[in-house]
Amino acid sequence: MAKIAIDPITRIEGHLRIEAKIEGGKVVDAWASSTMFRGIELILEGRDPRDAWAFAQRI
Amino acid sequence: MASSSKRDDLSGVTIYEALKERGFSRRDFLSFCTLITATLALPSTFVSKVAEALERRKKPVLVWLEFQDCAGNTEALLRASKPTVGEIVLDILSVEYHETIMAAAGHQAEKSLMDVVKNQKGRYIAVVEGSVPMGDGGVYCCVGGRAAKETVKEVCGNAMATLAVGTCAAYGGLPAASPNPTGAVGVTQAVPGVPVVNLPGCPVNVENITATVVHFLTFGSLPPLDSRGRPLFAYGKRIHDNCERRAHFDAGQFVRQWGDEGHRKGWCLYEMGCKGPETFKNCPTVKYNEGTSWPVQAGHGCIGCAEPAFWDRMAPFYRRLPQPPGFGVESTADKVGAGLAAVTGAALVAHGIGRILSGGKKKEEERR
Repeated sequence: MAKIAIDPITRIEGHLRIEAKIEGGKVVDAWASSTMFRGIELILEGRDPRDAWAFAQRI
Repeated sequence: MASSSKRDDLSGVTIYEALKERGFSRRDFLSFCTLITATLALPSTFVSKVAEALERRKKPVLVWLEFQDCAGNTEALLRASKPTVGEIVLDILSVEYHETIMAAAGHQAEKSLMDVVKNQKGRYIAVVEGSVPMGDGGVYCCVGGRAAKETVKEVCGNAMATLAVGTCAAYGGLPAASPNPTGAVGVTQAVPGVPVVNLPGCPVNVENITATVVHFLTFGSLPPLDSRGRPLFAYGKRIHDNCERRAHFDAGQFVRQWGDEGHRKGWCLYEMGCKGPETFKNCPTVKYNEGTSWPVQAGHGCIGCAEPAFWDRMAPFYRRLPQPPGFGVESTADKVGAGLAAVTGAALVAHGIGRILSGGKKKEEERR
């Protein structure tokens, strides 16, 4: 049994890490992690709702 | 990318030779040099100097780091409607690392980055997109299992120069907006003391990246910066002072409601919350998408995206600025506009063409 990690996954927008468990040459389990967090939901709290589009579209 | 044989074949050539290889004529090359000279706010006599430098200089190695970003600046770079010369110049820089576009992934990608840091120490350009989270040991952004705050220190610390593109990389931007949950900061704060050019904007204007790189290649130095680390050629003038709708501000002609007569006629957006009077950038002249348009031309006020902490300082975006700087204590836009119209009127009377304007002004007053 082997475990591999590919980090960063490239040619995508955003940050992604993939870990996979390999048994007998086959992937038997896998985990995806988003390795970046900004907390835009927390930043949006209490702001003028008319401004929300500008914040949320930057995701 | 670096691994392609085509790219390797080009690695020893100058920028002009590389452009020729891609089918660009001498004329294309010279018009690009003219455009960039103008963007740099240099007199046209410098065109030949810029051309000479690009004929002579070898392609510099460039790495593009992404941290707390939305890839909006990458998109601005890549989404031109046709391949422009500016795009090609950036493309033919030896881009050794850029997560969104590079072929390699995982440890191979990280190896390319570390190879540049080791083998090109002090000779490569680092571009950073996105802010660096300093909170909780830097866990909020990790690439290749390594915190952004460590990577940025090593990569920018060993670079010849760093370009912080977009407001996030320059000043923390959106992730740093209150309450800044991740302790996000810009490059200068994350790595104090390294040479950084801030190119804020949400997104950055690609022409300003190109012009900064060309300035570096032509003069061997970074362009003159303001107190916020921004090149004066791009951030030396207020949006308001170069705005295509400025005449309507001076004449007291304001949009008062979305879709009203003034909005349809392209009048001043100050009353709708435009932050042009407090924002320094060359948007009105350089615009976006190859000079196609910019927010005010499209009918929306400026949100001040090139200014530090604009997400907090400029919001709410639709609230009228209480008092535009440089216009004394007038409390309303009407007074500012009417006052300025009167001044303009007086100046025009002096030139003997006052009657036309005063007629127009009277109508404006009647309308109110």
